[in-house]
Amino acid sequence: MISRVAEHCYWMSRYLERAENTARVLEVNQTLLLDFPIPMEQQWVPLLIISGIHDYTGDPDGEAVQNHMTWDLDNPSSIISSISAARENARNIREVISADAWERLNYYYLWINSPGALELYSYNRSEFYNRIKRINQVIYGISEGTMSHGEAWEFYLLGKYLERGCQTARILDVKYHMLLPRTEQIGTPIDNAHWVAILMSCSGYEPFHKQRPGTDPGISVADFLIFDSIFPRSVRFCLNKCLLAAHAISGRPLNRPGNEPEQQLNMLVSWLNLIRIEEVVQSGLHEALTDVIDRTHAIGKAIHGAYFTLGMRQSLGLASISTQSSATLVSLA
Amino acid sequence: MSNDGSLSQDDAFLFGSYECHERSWDEIFQTDGRPQPHSKVLLDCLSDLTTSTFFERRALADLVFINQGITFSVYSDRRGVEKIFPFDLVPRPVGGEQWDRIEAGLNQRIHALNLFLHDIYHDQRILKEGVVPSDLVLESKGYRPEMEGFTPPGGQYLHVVGTDLIRDPSGEFLVLEDNGRTPSGVSYVLENRVVMKKVYPQLFQQCRVRRVEDYPLQLRNALSSVAPEGASEPPCIVLLSPGPYNSAYFEHSFLARHMGIELVFGRDLFVHNNRVFLGTTRGPQQVDVIYRRLDDDFLDPNAFRADSVLGVPDLMKAYRAGNVTLANAVGTGVADDKAIYPFVEDMIRFYLSENAILHNVPTYICARPKDLAYVLEHLDSLVVKAVNESGGYGMLMGPSSTKEQQQEFAEKLRANPRNYIAQPVVSLSTCPTWTDEGLAPRHVDLRPYIVSGKDRWVLPGGLTRTALVKGSLVVNSSQGGGSKDTWVMETRP
Repeated sequence: MISRVAEHCYWMSRYLERAENTARVLEVNQTLLLDFPIPMEQQWVPLLIISGIHDYTGDPDGEAVQNHMTWDLDNPSSIISSISAARENARNIREVISADAWERLNYYYLWINSPGALELYSYNRSEFYNRIKRINQVIYGISEGTMSHGEAWEFYLLGKYLERGCQTARILDVKYHMLLPRTEQIGTPIDNAHWVAILMSCSGYEPFHKQRPGTDPGISVADFLIFDSIFPRSVRFCLNKCLLAAHAISGRPLNRPGNEPEQQLNMLVSWLNLIRIEEVVQSGLHEALTDVIDRTHAIGKAIHGAYFTLGMRQSLGLASISTQSSATLVSLA
Repeated sequence: MSNDGSLSQDDAFLFGSYECHERSWDEIFQTDGRPQPHSKVLLDCLSDLTTSTFFERRALADLVFINQGITFSVYSDRRGVEKIFPFDLVPRPVGGEQWDRIEAGLNQRIHALNLFLHDIYHDQRILKEGVVPSDLVLESKGYRPEMEGFTPPGGQYLHVVGTDLIRDPSGEFLVLEDNGRTPSGVSYVLENRVVMKKVYPQLFQQCRVRRVEDYPLQLRNALSSVAPEGASEPPCIVLLSPGPYNSAYFEHSFLARHMGIELVFGRDLFVHNNRVFLGTTRGPQQVDVIYRRLDDDFLDPNAFRADSVLGVPDLMKAYRAGNVTLANAVGTGVADDKAIYPFVEDMIRFYLSENAILHNVPTYICARPKDLAYVLEHLDSLVVKAVNESGGYGMLMGPSSTKEQQQEFAEKLRANPRNYIAQPVVSLSTCPTWTDEGLAPRHVDLRPYIVSGKDRWVLPGGLTRTALVKGSLVVNSSQGGGSKDTWVMETRP
């Protein structure tokens, strides 16, 4: 398929997933703060860090941070920026995604830009975040049922799961930024509450307890969210989906990776398959998560190179690449 | 045709209060109120409808258009404003025999224009023999020196033409202009037909309407037939669009889907070793034919406008190397230059030794001092048109203009006479059209589409554009016009 079309499809999906994850994190934090007194500087700033925002100069209080993460058009990872970018990508490929999906996405875009959305945000924050989460879920559902499951669809999945896997790793890493737990705090109600919050932001509370009845949250939450093989938001599950999508695109068998994205995905998934949480904790959870996040970024770059931009021209031995990148909507990630 | 006062508005017979325009040809009725011979069947069927059933059908049709997002955008409205092209449910009938004559006339005209284009870019015989003034041709904005000495694959310049026809008060079809660059609107013809078939399924059989649905296939076949030598089999054809903010983007996407070809933007294509490639996720794929919906100016920043980001660098090199077909060819703008238009009948005589079947509207060429003087004298009764504008922009409608507007145009004319032509106001024919006051006559034109590859094919009918404002002669969609389905009805048994 045309590289640009694949690229728009991939980014539409990533941005929708990003909007959902941002809403999840904001919502859970909001709820958590109702139960536990947490020092102001630990309340909201970590959320900026997991979204990759390191230059925030605004107020650290909840309203300011939520505003920045939800409504700020200058913040490329805010919810409204993500929805707009998803819609802009979709607009370019209306004939590839289904008419149903386009109409719905356009509807949500109009909604979030309407006074009604702002009103809901101010009087029922939690319902507002729920609606945002639903945007991605609904568009995915419509697309799954109405869009041909060909190459474009695999790019949809590739974008979706790469973004989600990366977000789960980031959400887990917030624990590192939030509470550098002094040893005596481990296992206290506050510590446990944080783990539960992290689980809930990934909709993993019930699956976790079903699969590991009687387990204390603690580090086994990290185990669950990184390594679980059937929970759809675990890092391993997501990257495995990416691997399948990449091989569906190329048509090559799984054990014979043929291009850069396939090779990198294979290595990361093999690592996730083999390593155990104890080893990760030993060498440092934060370090391991940082490594996973960096590797997903590298995979993102490899995807651009292999499918969207450079590969085409280079494969013809063209010395200089003069046209501007078609990735006008490239993300910060 | 008096209204039967005993009926309520809702039950009223649809054509009950219809009164023809006093000075125009009516497409359905004769002046004495009897139907035109070919319209009789249609009228018999439509007459069974009451106003209320007509309303129901109309609501159904509107719904189809809205749901399918059949829209266009207007340049003056900043991006994002999409409008529904207003659609009228009363078809515009054309008799089959009448159509056959129009078709022959269009074939003849496009044939001559194609020969003209080849001539002016090669031997310039028609200029040397003084049939067409050479300065008009060589100074035309549409003339491209880059095309001199080059013959496009298959010798075809005008793959798609949308010729605008109007009908004068005597009922004669006249050519108003030849759109030989990137004419649009055909998707509305196809969509209108889909809607009409949903709304009036039984009418189509009774009226024996000729099919329009073959257009995408005909275009695809025509483009395949003029693929460059050495093209793959089947050739790789793409539709090059300026992008989603273009007013005709809906049509680009529609045609690409129906022709089964890729819709691409300039940045999807690149030129290497004088060959054009499409960047795909599996690597580069060579492109043989580009159906481009982009003006010459924007095609290749290295050949034409350097600031164009819509085109493909070095596309002209690949084209001149004979490795890719561009449809339409580069440099066809000279053939639909409004200052060249007055000479088309002469071209037909010159190249084909035939008399034109379809005639032009009489035209004053402001580049000629005598004509200019006449035009300046009669600004209040003429239509003045800028020669390189389309879509009803840059135009003065004399009879409905103010003194200030006439003054303004007089200055423009004196400053740059080459840029203008003028024509007498032709009272366009009318067709019954639904309005707030029920069915009323509204002015219409007709844009048939002619597709040329190795052979030539004319879409039966075409886009009937209709003015929606009473008395208005401006039918362009960008100026608030609407459209109708055109029914070429078999008249032979």
